Amino acid sequence: MKRLSVLTLARMFFRSFFLQAAWNPRGMQNLGFAYAMGPALDELYPDRAARAAAAFRHLEFFNCHPYMAAAILGGAARVEERVAAGEAEPSDVSQFKTTLGPPLAALGDGFFWLALRPSAALLAAATAPFIGAWAVLVFLGLYNTVHLAARVWMFAAGYLRAEGIVETLGHAHYASGTPLLKACAAALAGAIAARAVLLVAEGPRPSAAVGFGVLLVAAFLFLPRLGVPRSVYLGLFCGLALGARFL
Amino acid sequence: MERLLPSAIVAVVAGLAAVERKGAFQLMLSRPLVLAPILGLLFGDGRAGLLLGVPLELLFLGGVNLGGNLPHNETLLAAALTAMVVPAGAGLSGGVDAPLAVLGLALLFPLAVYGRKLERASEQRNAEIAAEALRRVQAGDASAIRLNLRGLFLPFGVTFGICALASLCAPLLGWLRAQCGPAAVLALSGAWHAVLAVSAACAIRAIRDSRAPFFAGLSAAVLVAAAVAFRGAL
Repeated sequence: MKRLSVLTLARMFFRSFFLQAAWNPRGMQNLGFAYAMGPALDELYPDRAARAAAAFRHLEFFNCHPYMAAAILGGAARVEERVAAGEAEPSDVSQFKTTLGPPLAALGDGFFWLALRPSAALLAAATAPFIGAWAVLVFLGLYNTVHLAARVWMFAAGYLRAEGIVETLGHAHYASGTPLLKACAAALAGAIAARAVLLVAEGPRPSAAVGFGVLLVAAFLFLPRLGVPRSVYLGLFCGLALGARFL
Repeated sequence: MERLLPSAIVAVVAGLAAVERKGAFQLMLSRPLVLAPILGLLFGDGRAGLLLGVPLELLFLGGVNLGGNLPHNETLLAAALTAMVVPAGAGLSGGVDAPLAVLGLALLFPLAVYGRKLERASEQRNAEIAAEALRRVQAGDASAIRLNLRGLFLPFGVTFGICALASLCAPLLGWLRAQCGPAAVLALSGAWHAVLAVSAACAIRAIRDSRAPFFAGLSAAVLVAAAVAFRGAL
């Protein structure tokens, strides 16, 4: 069985960063996935027609978390090697992708979007008044150290283990780390909220801090109903009134 | 001419950030917390960028692109706001301050909502690109998968244009700020504190966990108590 070269795998990994370049409602990441598979298809299928047929297979609907898709991409490359060698059916690649897409998407959304990103951003926002622009590096460093390491590891594990990637990801503790990150993020958000009120208390009219505290609580309570834009404009009007001492 | 070059550079960087937001890399370089200080730095005032970026980051912390759900476009707003406010502040004696930031935010906030429409349009354009790629691959041209990268052009172009325009309109914002008397400055400073309060509320809401209000409340209470105790000790 022909194995893909390291250079081809590296090119695939680089192209995985463009998975969502042509995200569309019909095929979602289909074109991005086919684009990332391109170097592997070029190497495995020297015949033009066979290559086009393989590319066509990868243009089917595909959707996953963009980072977690690295595991599927690596695994699909391995399965595609077997297909090219006649050891597997073309439908096996499709089955591999459709089976792993949704669970990995849920795992990635929960960990990266809803836990790691808020935690890293809140840590940076909470420290920004003290460390200034270094807060940007805190955010990027913290987030991308985890993100890039996870992406490289998942791509490699996907290629080496293919169908066994599920078991490998089970040992990664993504799900167990999520509640801890969210608790830290909540504590940091609370500290930022307290600081927002204390800043007013240290100003020329300390009693106004009560008004801004009430505004903060009201915004928290009504945010789901009002949405961010209306909350911001209502907040601006209340703030104008408080600042001008009408309230 | 002196202002055109930094404005053009900022518009290009903002366009690249719009591409980075969803279409490429996703290293979070397009988040307001990162983008605003970078653009501010390009205008010579990174501190002002950070002043704008932190509350914007908190306001849009809960916006997550899950499946077909489109969040507000925080990148477009952060880029346009920085491109307008920082040069406006450079023309004033006090630089970028809270009243100027509030004026800019009130004026440009609808861009976050408009950005959603831009993204929908981008997705429709991408659907056409994907359909063309499918046709060509079906006809035997495997290299058509490279059409994928064409999806990056529209967000880049629109964000570039909007930021360039925002930057060119900066003197108008500066003029508006210069017209504010002491009473208006006081009111606008209050409005900035309100933005900070609303953004903190948004940040707590962004953590989708039933225990989040408890942890946030506890942490806030401890901090306020410590501040009061420390002041008392003094």
